[in-house]
Amino acid sequence: MEQIREVEEKALEAVRNAEDLAALQQVRVMYLGKKGSIQGLMSMMKSLPKEEKPAFGQAVNQCKQTVSDAIEARNAELQKEALAKQLEEEKIDITLAGDKLEVGTTHPLIMVQQQLEDLFIGMGYTVAEGPEVEQDYYNFELANIPKDHPARDMQDTFYIDPNTLLRTHTTAMQMRELEKAKGRTPIKLICPGKVYRRDDDDATHSHQFMQCEGLVVGEKITLADLKGTLTAMANRMFGEGRKVRFRPSFFPFTEPSVEVDVSCPFCNGKGCSVCKGSGWIEILGAGMVHPHVLEMNGFDSEKCSGFAFGVGLERVAMLKYGIDDIRNFYTNDLRFLKNFDRFD
Amino acid sequence: MRLSYKWLNEYVSLEGITPQELADRMTTAGLEVEGVEPVASATDLIIGEVIECEAIPDTHLHATKVRVGEGADDVYEIVCGAPNVRTGLKVIVALPGCVLPGGTILSKPVRGYNSNGMICALFELGVDKKWLSEEQLAGIEELPEDAPVGERNVLGWLGLDDTILDVSLTPNRADCLSMWNMAKEVGAILRRPVHWPDYEGKSDVGEPSSFKVATATKNCTCFYGKVVNHVKVGPSPKWLVNYLHSAGMNSINNVVDLSNFVMLETGQPLHYYDLAKLPHREINVVDDRDMKITALDGVDFEIHKGDILITTGGEATGIAGIMGGEESMIDENTKAIFIEAAHFDAASVRRTSIRLNLITEAAQRFTKGVEMGAMKKAVDRSVQLLEKYADASGFEETQIAGDPSCTPVEITETLTHCNELLGTDFTMDQVKEVLDALDFKPEINGDEIVCHIPGYRIDMERPADVDEEIIRLIGFDSLKETLPVMEATVGQLTPAQNTRRTIMNVLQANGLHQIVTYTLVSQDYIDESFDPCGEAISLSMPMSEARRYIRTSLLNSILECVQYNEAHQNTGNNFFEHSFVSYKGGEEERLAIVLDSPLTEDRLHKITVPADFYAMKGILTAVFGKLGFNGSRIHVKENTCDTVHFHPYRSAEIWLDKTRLGVFGEIHPAYAAKFDLKRIVYAEVRLGPVLAARTSKVRFAALDRFPAVTRDIAIVVKKSVTGEDILNTVRKAGKKILRNSEIFDIYEGEHVGADEKSVALRITYQADHTLTEDEITSAHEEILKQLTNKLKAQLRA
Repeated sequence: MEQIREVEEKALEAVRNAEDLAALQQVRVMYLGKKGSIQGLMSMMKSLPKEEKPAFGQAVNQCKQTVSDAIEARNAELQKEALAKQLEEEKIDITLAGDKLEVGTTHPLIMVQQQLEDLFIGMGYTVAEGPEVEQDYYNFELANIPKDHPARDMQDTFYIDPNTLLRTHTTAMQMRELEKAKGRTPIKLICPGKVYRRDDDDATHSHQFMQCEGLVVGEKITLADLKGTLTAMANRMFGEGRKVRFRPSFFPFTEPSVEVDVSCPFCNGKGCSVCKGSGWIEILGAGMVHPHVLEMNGFDSEKCSGFAFGVGLERVAMLKYGIDDIRNFYTNDLRFLKNFDRFD
Repeated sequence: MRLSYKWLNEYVSLEGITPQELADRMTTAGLEVEGVEPVASATDLIIGEVIECEAIPDTHLHATKVRVGEGADDVYEIVCGAPNVRTGLKVIVALPGCVLPGGTILSKPVRGYNSNGMICALFELGVDKKWLSEEQLAGIEELPEDAPVGERNVLGWLGLDDTILDVSLTPNRADCLSMWNMAKEVGAILRRPVHWPDYEGKSDVGEPSSFKVATATKNCTCFYGKVVNHVKVGPSPKWLVNYLHSAGMNSINNVVDLSNFVMLETGQPLHYYDLAKLPHREINVVDDRDMKITALDGVDFEIHKGDILITTGGEATGIAGIMGGEESMIDENTKAIFIEAAHFDAASVRRTSIRLNLITEAAQRFTKGVEMGAMKKAVDRSVQLLEKYADASGFEETQIAGDPSCTPVEITETLTHCNELLGTDFTMDQVKEVLDALDFKPEINGDEIVCHIPGYRIDMERPADVDEEIIRLIGFDSLKETLPVMEATVGQLTPAQNTRRTIMNVLQANGLHQIVTYTLVSQDYIDESFDPCGEAISLSMPMSEARRYIRTSLLNSILECVQYNEAHQNTGNNFFEHSFVSYKGGEEERLAIVLDSPLTEDRLHKITVPADFYAMKGILTAVFGKLGFNGSRIHVKENTCDTVHFHPYRSAEIWLDKTRLGVFGEIHPAYAAKFDLKRIVYAEVRLGPVLAARTSKVRFAALDRFPAVTRDIAIVVKKSVTGEDILNTVRKAGKKILRNSEIFDIYEGEHVGADEKSVALRITYQADHTLTEDEITSAHEEILKQLTNKLKAQLRA
C-alpha cells in the first residue's frame, strides 16, 4: 500500500511538472501505459495473500483514477494555454486600411431627380415620360404659345425642322399627358427630363439641362394647394422649416403665374451671401393651369382646375450642394462625382 | 424697359416714395425691377463763373478763380486741367467735400497753387458717356450764359435729378411699354390717382385733305395718316432730350424726337415722313411684293411676300412697323410732314423683323401687341406737341384706312370662383378695391363682378386673368398652404422606371459612377457612331459644329469623358450612363458602361479585379441576373456587328432571347488611341427590348435535403474548344443528377502541346436521395466518355 501511495505521489508530481502536451503524453505512458508504473503495481497483486488482494486492487484502481483525472485536468489546462498562445501569435494590425471596395456614385442631377420622384410618389403622383425630340405642337402650341407669339422669345429653341425641335421645357410632357387623359381627372404627375435651349455654355448657362415639372388637375384645386405642395417640396429638398413665397410672374400656360422663392436654407431667411441678403432664393416657376390649356386638351375649365410647377434640377443641386459652375454636371470629373458618394 | 422716376411722377405722384421703394413695390406686384440707377449723382455742387484763368507754366493746367455768389467769400481758387476752361465761362463746381461717383473732392494745393474744389464735366457726375458729345467728353461742361450763378440744385437745374428703374416686363405686360399705361399700373400698385395729359381730340382739326391712305392687306387693319403742312425743325428742349435719354433713345431734332416721345408715352409706334420727299400724295399698305428696299440706315433688305410694306405711288418707302425708308427721312430742311400711326399684325411684324434681324423699338412693340386705341391717342398727342414744340400749323384732316374701332372687353367673374381658384377667402370689398384701383370699373351684382377692361389691357381675356390681378395686388402673403383634397391616387414607379433604378443600383454596387453627358455632338461623332440607332438628326441652326447632331450612340461621349478624366490624372474611371439616343425615326434607350481602371485594386491586401472583358461580362451578368433573366436567355455571340470600334477577338455581342442588345469588350486599340486611351473596356446595350421582355418571377425553390458530391477533373483539349463547348457537353452527358459544372482553371504552356490547353472542372452531383457510389460513377464516366468522343479530350492524370 505504501508503494501505491509513492507511485501516486510521483505520478501527480510528474503531471504537475509536465510543461507541454508532449511531456504530459510521456507522463501518461510512464504511469498509465501497459508497461507503466501503475500497471506494474497490478502485477504485484499475484504475490499478495488472497485476503489482501481486493483491498490492494481497489487502491490501485483508485490511484489509476486519480492520476488519470490529474492528467485530463492538466491536459485541458495545457490545451487552453496552447490556444491562447496561438491566438496571440495571430495578432494583426487593426489600424491598417480595410480592403479597398469601390462604391459607385449617383450623378447629382439624378440624385435630385430621384429625391423628387420619391417625394411625389409618396403623395400619390406618378412619373411621366416623353420624347426629347418633340413636336412644336406639344412643346408650344398646346402650351398656349402659338407660332409667332412673343413668348417664344423667352426660350431660344433648337429647331430640327419647322415642326420638330429639341424640347425646351418638360411642359411638353405635361401637354402629352393632358391630351392622353382626354378630359378625365384626377391627374397627378411629375415629369423629369432633359431639356435644351440655345444658350452659350458658361458658369450659369447650359444648352442642355434638366427640369422636373409637376401637374395636378382635379376639382377645386387651388393656388393655396400649389403653395402647400411646394412647401412640402422645399422642406424635402432644403430641410425642414422652409417657407415659400410667391411673386407674380407670367408663363403662357398658367394663369395666375408665380415665381416661387424659398426661404434661404443657409441663413434661415436672415440674409447671407447665397441669397444676396434678401433671405429668399428664387427656385422655380409655377401657376394655375391656364383655362385655355385645359380647354385645348379637352377639359372643362369650368368644372376642373389644376396647378403646374417646373423646377430646374441643376438649380436645386447647385443650391443644395453648393456647386458654383453648371458645367460641372456635364464634365463628369470623377473628383466632382465623388462628392455624391452618400445617401441624401 | 428703362423707366424714368421723374417722368412717371408727372402722371402719378411719387411723393414720399423713394425710387428703391417704388422698385420693391413694383417687383412685389409682378413688374420685376432689376436695377435702380441715378442718371447722375453728386452732393455739394454749385453753378459758378470763371472770373480769372491763368495758365500754369509748363503744364496743361490753369489756375482759376471761380465766383459762386455775390459775397467776398464766394470766390474759389481752383486748378483746372480742362482745355476749354476760360474766363467768363459758366461752369459746374464741385465744392470741397462733394461726393462724386469717382470719389470725394478735397482741398489741396496743386503745383503750389491752391485748389478748393473741381470744375466738372458731365461724365464726372455719372452721366452716361453715350449721350455726350466729343467736346463734352474732352473738357468741362460749358453752361449757357443764363445759368444762375450760385444755384445749388445743379442736377435739378440740368434736369439730371432723375433715377432710372430697369423693369423686366413679362411678355403679357406689353401695355407697360407705354409710360401712360405704366403710370396706370403704378397708380394701381400704390393706390394713387393717375392723370394723363389732356390730349383727347387734339387732332380733330384741319382742312380737307387730298392725301389718300389705303390698306390692301388684312395684316394692316387700320392706318391713320395726317398731313401737317408747316413745321419748324430745330433742337429739342432740354426736358425732351433728357426723357429720351432716360428711355435709352438719342435726340435728333424736335420733330423726330416728338415722334419717339409720343411713342414712349402712348405705346403706339409712329412714323413721321418728310412730306416733300413723298413723291405721291398717297400711301398704300401692301404685303405682296418680292423686292429690295433701302432702309433709314442705308442698308438693303430683301423683301418677300408676306412682309408688310408702306408704298407710295407703287414704290416702297418703308417696312411697316419696323423701319422707314431713306428717301422720306426728316432732316433740318423739312418744312411739312405726314404722320403715320397704324396697326400692323404682330405675328407678321415678328416674322419679318426676325428674318431681317431688325429688332427695332417699333418692331418690338408691334410684336408684343399694341392696343387699337393707341393710334388715335398718338395722333392727338402728336398734334398737341408739334404745335407747342415745332410751331406746327396747316393741319389737314386725319385720313383713316381700315377699321379703327376697338371692341370693349368685359369679363364676368364671381367672387366664389375667384376664391375657389385661389384658395382664398377674399371679401367683395377687398376685390372691388383692387378692381377700382386698376380702373376696371367693376359692376357688382351679388356674387357676380363685371369688369370693364380699359383698352390698353390687351392681356385681359378671362376670369383667371382678373383673379391674377386680384391676388397680385392684394398680395400673395395672404395665401394659405394646403395640400390638394381629391380622389386618392396610387403613386408608384412604372415597371420600366423600377428596372432602370435596379440597373443603376447594381452598377453602383459594383463600384461604377453614374455620368450624364451632352446629347448634341459633332459630325465626327456621328460618323464614328457605334451601332447607330438610325439616320442622325441635324439641327437646323446649330450653335456650333461641335453641337450639330443629336447623338445616335453613346460611345464617343463616354470615351471623351474618360479621356478628360485620364488627362486630369483621375483613376478609377469606371462609368455608366443611361440615356436616350435619337434618329430620324424615333428614339432608343441605351445603357453604356466603360471600365478604364481595375474594379478593385488593393496592393496591401493583394486583391485585384482587372478591367477586362470578363469583368464587363460579370457586370452584365449581374445586371441581367438581377433583372430576372434566367438561364441562357441572356447570352453572348461572336461579334460580327462592329469590329471597327471593338477588338475583333476580345468582344462579343450580347443577346436577349432572339434580340441583339449590343456589344461589349475591349475597344479596338486603334480607336482607343483617338482618345489617347489604351486598354479600355466598353459596353453599349439597347434597353428597349430589356424593358419590354417578360422576366421570371421570384419563386421559392425547396432546399436540398441530401448532400452534394463534387468531383474535380482535368482534361486536355485543343485551344479552339471553347468553355461553352465543354460545359454543354458535360451538361448533356451528366444526366439528372448533375447539379452544377464549372471551369475553375485553364492552363496553357510547356506541360501541354502548343495548340492545347488543360481545363480543370468541378462537377457537382446531387439528387432527391443520398447518391450511391454507383450512380455517381456511372454519370461521371458518361461525362468523361462524351468529353473524349465529342471534344477529343484527354483526361489528365
